[in-house]
Amino acid sequence: MTDPLVDIRDLSLWYEKFKALDNISTSFSSGRCVVICGPSGSGKSSLLRCINRLEEFQEGDVLFEGQSLRECPNIAALRSNIGMVFQHFELYPHMSILDNITLAPRHAKGKSKADAEALAHTLLERVDIADQAKKYPAELSGGQQQRAAIARALALEPKLMLFDEPTSALDPEMIVEVLRVMRDLAKDGMTMLVVTHEMVFAREVSDEIIFMDDGKIVERKETDDFFSNPHSKRAQDFLDRILMKI
Amino acid sequence: MTLKYDFDWPMLLEDPYREWIIEGFINTVYLSLMAWGIALMIGIFIGTIRMTRSPMLRFIGTVYVEFFRNIPLLVQLFVWFFVFPLMLPHDWMMSWNRLPHVPFLTALLALSLFTAARVAEHIRSGISSIPKGQFDAATSSGLTQVQMYRYVIIPYAFRVMIPTIASEFLTIFKNSALTLTIGVSEITSAAKSIEAWSFHGIEAYSVASVTYMTTTATVVLFMGWLEHRLRIPGLIAKK
Repeated sequence: MTDPLVDIRDLSLWYEKFKALDNISTSFSSGRCVVICGPSGSGKSSLLRCINRLEEFQEGDVLFEGQSLRECPNIAALRSNIGMVFQHFELYPHMSILDNITLAPRHAKGKSKADAEALAHTLLERVDIADQAKKYPAELSGGQQQRAAIARALALEPKLMLFDEPTSALDPEMIVEVLRVMRDLAKDGMTMLVVTHEMVFAREVSDEIIFMDDGKIVERKETDDFFSNPHSKRAQDFLDRILMKI
Repeated sequence: MTLKYDFDWPMLLEDPYREWIIEGFINTVYLSLMAWGIALMIGIFIGTIRMTRSPMLRFIGTVYVEFFRNIPLLVQLFVWFFVFPLMLPHDWMMSWNRLPHVPFLTALLALSLFTAARVAEHIRSGISSIPKGQFDAATSSGLTQVQMYRYVIIPYAFRVMIPTIASEFLTIFKNSALTLTIGVSEITSAAKSIEAWSFHGIEAYSVASVTYMTTTATVVLFMGWLEHRLRIPGLIAKK
């Protein structure tokens, strides 16, 4: 396994004239769970979306397992090694949960229908909705949908999982069931990058915290260190505000 | 005031009228269904390329739609029938003219291409109604652009668009009447001939009207069935 798994070099991203990411350089190693936090508009999601080139960045580069995304000849194949989970789940509403999960394994990874379905059933069991395989997304609760979406991402047998505010659209009790699945994933050694406002999850589960503001990484620390001893004034203020809320 | 008109409905069952009606009915249904199949394929293709990232493909799609949508169907029929063969190299023109059923083929071509432009516009609006996150989800999972449209975007858009697509399907039956102007023996042309031979215009055009109404009613029933069958459970409400 190449280390670091993801290497970000002088990355900048503009939306028209707005500079969303400002010359970011950092890297992520295998087996770690890193939480990216910061005020809204700070570039957290943009950074995440550059890692599988869902955003076409204008400057710098991202290396995944040493492969440059900018010069990647087959970006689809590279993406099929990275699972992604979205704020609004984005399950395909016209397909059953089972078909949602088997689509990419079959067509992007060339698995047979039987293999893909066997894998899907295992994953559905893992996220605790084994009995929902035949249902359609809109027939499930929000928490169940997000867990199905996690199963769909895991079906790629990914080397990296990206979570883009996975609990922001959920009710409190559903948040817990999704976070529990994510915690178990991290425990099993999955490499995870998580954009979230769930500071309890960050403190309990993550290995490292990245704090972003204004398109820059302001601070990156081991989790315990970040919470007990935030270095920058902006991170301190952010933590104060967020923890006060609880 | 009484209508001075001698009704003669049974005459419709006598030859040659009966034959003309059967031929007209078959031609109308054939022409419409075949044109519909072709229009759907071209329309989905054109509508989809107008939504891709490639400026070249989008340009081709836009030119197609604006060209075929903005010229009246009647003019297009005449252009295909009278002008198009003249623009072919001489040998080609000769072999085109020697084909059997040239009016029918020309009508099929014109009706398909015209309807495809309208279908393309519906497909485009259907695709733009799909949340951006669906594209992100499909792309991030490693599907290629073609696979994304084939498995995710078009099937989803199609379900949303069934009612508009259905009304386009009805229109093609009604538009097929125009093809009598280039000599296709469809049902309106049969009615016109019957009227000219027998002076029984009411009976003749009743047959044509009833034909259109029954074929379109069949389409409405079929599309309703399809809409129900493809209904997305939990998302699009039962009726």
